[in-house]
Amino acid sequence: MRHEVFPSVAGAARHEAIAAWRLCAPTLVLMLLLLVLPSLAVVALSLTDAELGSSDWHFLGLSAYRDLLGDRDFQRAFRNTAVYVGLVAPASVLLGLALALLIEAGTTARAFFRSVFFLPVVSLIVAMGTVWQYLMHPTIGPLDLLLGKLGLPAVNWLGTSDTVLWGLAIIGIWQAVGFNMVLYLAGLTSIDRALYQAAEIDGAKSAWERFRLVTWPMLSPMTLFVITISVINSVKVFETVAALTQGGPAKASEVLLWSIYQEGFVYLHIGTASAMAVVFVAVLLVLILVQTRVLERRVQYQ
Amino acid sequence: MTRRDGIAWPVIRIVLLGAIALVMTAPYIFMITTSFKPQSEVFAGGLNLLPQQWSIVANYSKAVTAVPLLRILLNGVIVCAAIVFFQILFALPAAYSLAKLRFGGRDIIFGLVIMGLLVPIHAISIPLYAMARWAGLLNTLAVLIAPFTLSVFAIFLFRQFIKTFPNDMVLAARSDGLSEAAIVWRVILPNAWPAASAFAIFSVVAHWNDLYWPLITVSKTQLATPPLGLMFFRAAEVGDDYGALMAATVLITLPLVLFFLFAQRLFIEGLTMSGIKG
Amino acid sequence: MLRRLLASVALSLFALALPARADTTIVVHYPMPGFFKSVMEQISTEYMKQHPDVKITFTSPSPTYEDGLQLMLRQAGTPDMPDVSFIGLNRLRVLAERNIGTDLTPFIKADPNFGKEGFSDRLLNLAKFGGKQMGLAFATSNPIFYYNADLVKKAGGDPDNPPKTWDEVFKLAAKIQALGDGVTGMAYRWMGDDWMFSALLFGDGGKMLSDDEKKVAFDGPEGLFALKLIDRMVKDGKMPAMTSDAEIQGFTAGKIGMFFFTTGALRQVINGVGNKFELRTTAMPVIDATKGRLPTGGAAAVMFTTDPAKQKVVFDFVKFASGPYGASVVVPGTGYVPNNDLAATDEHYLANFYKENPLFQAGLNQMPLMIPWYSFPGNNGVKVTQTIVDNLAILVEQKATPEETLKTMSGEVQKLLPR
Repeated sequence: MRHEVFPSVAGAARHEAIAAWRLCAPTLVLMLLLLVLPSLAVVALSLTDAELGSSDWHFLGLSAYRDLLGDRDFQRAFRNTAVYVGLVAPASVLLGLALALLIEAGTTARAFFRSVFFLPVVSLIVAMGTVWQYLMHPTIGPLDLLLGKLGLPAVNWLGTSDTVLWGLAIIGIWQAVGFNMVLYLAGLTSIDRALYQAAEIDGAKSAWERFRLVTWPMLSPMTLFVITISVINSVKVFETVAALTQGGPAKASEVLLWSIYQEGFVYLHIGTASAMAVVFVAVLLVLILVQTRVLERRVQYQ
Repeated sequence: MTRRDGIAWPVIRIVLLGAIALVMTAPYIFMITTSFKPQSEVFAGGLNLLPQQWSIVANYSKAVTAVPLLRILLNGVIVCAAIVFFQILFALPAAYSLAKLRFGGRDIIFGLVIMGLLVPIHAISIPLYAMARWAGLLNTLAVLIAPFTLSVFAIFLFRQFIKTFPNDMVLAARSDGLSEAAIVWRVILPNAWPAASAFAIFSVVAHWNDLYWPLITVSKTQLATPPLGLMFFRAAEVGDDYGALMAATVLITLPLVLFFLFAQRLFIEGLTMSGIKG
Repeated sequence: MLRRLLASVALSLFALALPARADTTIVVHYPMPGFFKSVMEQISTEYMKQHPDVKITFTSPSPTYEDGLQLMLRQAGTPDMPDVSFIGLNRLRVLAERNIGTDLTPFIKADPNFGKEGFSDRLLNLAKFGGKQMGLAFATSNPIFYYNADLVKKAGGDPDNPPKTWDEVFKLAAKIQALGDGVTGMAYRWMGDDWMFSALLFGDGGKMLSDDEKKVAFDGPEGLFALKLIDRMVKDGKMPAMTSDAEIQGFTAGKIGMFFFTTGALRQVINGVGNKFELRTTAMPVIDATKGRLPTGGAAAVMFTTDPAKQKVVFDFVKFASGPYGASVVVPGTGYVPNNDLAATDEHYLANFYKENPLFQAGLNQMPLMIPWYSFPGNNGVKVTQTIVDNLAILVEQKATPEETLKTMSGEVQKLLPR
């Protein structure tokens, strides 16, 4: 589309607007098809007891949500997800920070360690989960054999309902640490050296003081981001559950996304599953809002 | 960064890092060594790393033949590449419009972008599945690609990035007679290359790993993506032949890992960029 | 001139009337590739040899009977649905109630040879629901008792005289456990579905639901007995809480002394054990000698295609796979028992096989005790099975007593039954 210098300001503005709409057209269509319509459909479905493949359905209204929130299994899925997030998010954030600090604390082999710790992030989760399942095998798994050599009792990590979330959390932390570490590394390198010199002049002698007075506050925007990302990603846990435990044993590892999948695509109750999906989004929204409000206050920007 | 006195600290640091690195890479070590062992040795237990009997050929050939592994890896590459291509194709013009152009729909569209950021694809998977099924698109490569061609994250990321471009750049291009579309592809894209490649890395890693969507839309082995292909392999082997299973995981993990090792800086800078700007 | 024209017209018409030798492709789906993969390949290859105009392709197999059923339910009515699948016997009812799957009765009636091919009424009944012949039973099984003769000997037992009652089992399990070195006395496969639970329930003469199928019937003394047995497996038999896969792997590795599972896994177990130890099999311990029964596991071949041309081929293939030839492949290839009367006794098929392979006789000998695997009515059949398994898990982990488990289980299942 060729155009010459605009004859008038109004004409230019209209031209700009038309061009903008044209550029956005594909995106708008996709948004309608892939975002707006499905979201409305999910909300609509959530108020019914629809089943996939069957045309016999009834409108339930808000009682669908009442039933769902009172359902013991759904409450358990909630709890399990909360436990998993509580295990994985803090640990992977703190470990990520620790590793970043360790790497930055010296000059040797930085790139090497950075790559080594980042490796799990680019490895296929389903594949590495499978490897971990072998490591955690109750009879032949190296992990329990190692524990045995150290005199510790063997743990059936993924096979007992008490420990399965721990087992999955270990895998989750292992996968997430590298990502957080890289983000923190970027944050650390962007801290102005002059601040450290100023701190020393002000009497900060030990490494801990330097960390407390300079590093930690300066990292707070990054920390907010890292925590947000870690929490959101761990709420969305699915691949390891699908590949390794299928929600078991005894629903001890049934997490929100797995429940939605089971309810909708295995039991074919898409009405209930849609209600679960709405609750899931609500939970994510609340988490994001809470974090932004609570933590934002503590963040110091340059 | 900070001054450390003496030589004790550097040594401690390396030892600490080395120990943690050993723990982090333990799964890989076991994965590879077990893939060399025959079934009987795997089940004998024991912490021996080196196999007493080498079974590389048997394990790896089983891994490649029990499911069409090479085809599955190819599917993964095609799907991820196509997704990134379309994502950038659609997102960049939209981001440019939101960042640099004035028009009535700007706020609404940006509102939709925010909405999209808050609604994960899993939540709307049921209607999307129903649409795909109604359109007869199940078990096709198209269904693996289509829902992801819209990336509100890309729009958001690029918009933030393009906003930092000086307006003069755009005005100069306009007075050179370039259309808005041409501006996007000839002026904006070259300058947005860091953000674009950063986003591409992010997108590839996310979609390479995705199991949920292929799981519900694909049941034919030939169309599986790597995560789904591994699930099919596990079902076929009932987890008995761990040697072959480990061989399969090695082969399936290799592509992205190799890609990462060769393009490390690209990866890490890319993710950092998405992080800082996001 | 006219005669030649007439002749050529007649010839062309004649040629047109002949059925064209077009290739028919049928798509087959099956579950449990660990059991069935080589069997399916063998049967399909032989069928294609005998019928060169038919091509058989396989779609991706499902890991379990449950996954297989769920996939079929989800694919029903879409072009992805395979032409034929093998469905767990307890799930045929779900298909029948939703009108998925083709009734084979008209095909059977139209087939003059059907009666001579060894498909007894007993067999047909396994796959009959609401008057519809949902399929033909392809593989049937019952639970058997696998044991590691070496470990039994080491613990002071006699491999030639395995335990015949559960009390004896627990005593031996404790002795094997005492051998140390990471060895476990016994494992009972209770995870995955309700089949092995029903083995104990039926073994005591119990029933799943009342005759009108509106009330839970396993909440009586038989059900309690079954749960108490499982409780004793953990308390006296020292059974650890493991997944089915881990149990199979542990047994074939030589780390578990006794294992109770379907005879359908026999070939897989034999392959896994290799030369590691001497494998033996025998009948399940007797609970009630008169009322006791065992559930029939296994699958039936179900036709899904509605294309008449394909239906003919599928019916023929289904007969082939479930008939004497199929049985002669399935039985040695897996350990499932012959569902076809002709196969078991005819020398051409399996008579010699059983003579030469004593391990396979345990399942064969229990055949008179087989009753159908129970199918729960209504929309929640799969959830009911899952509920039973989940409650068993809580019991095995010793988080509840048998009495508490029975109460919870029957309450939860009752809620899931159609009202």
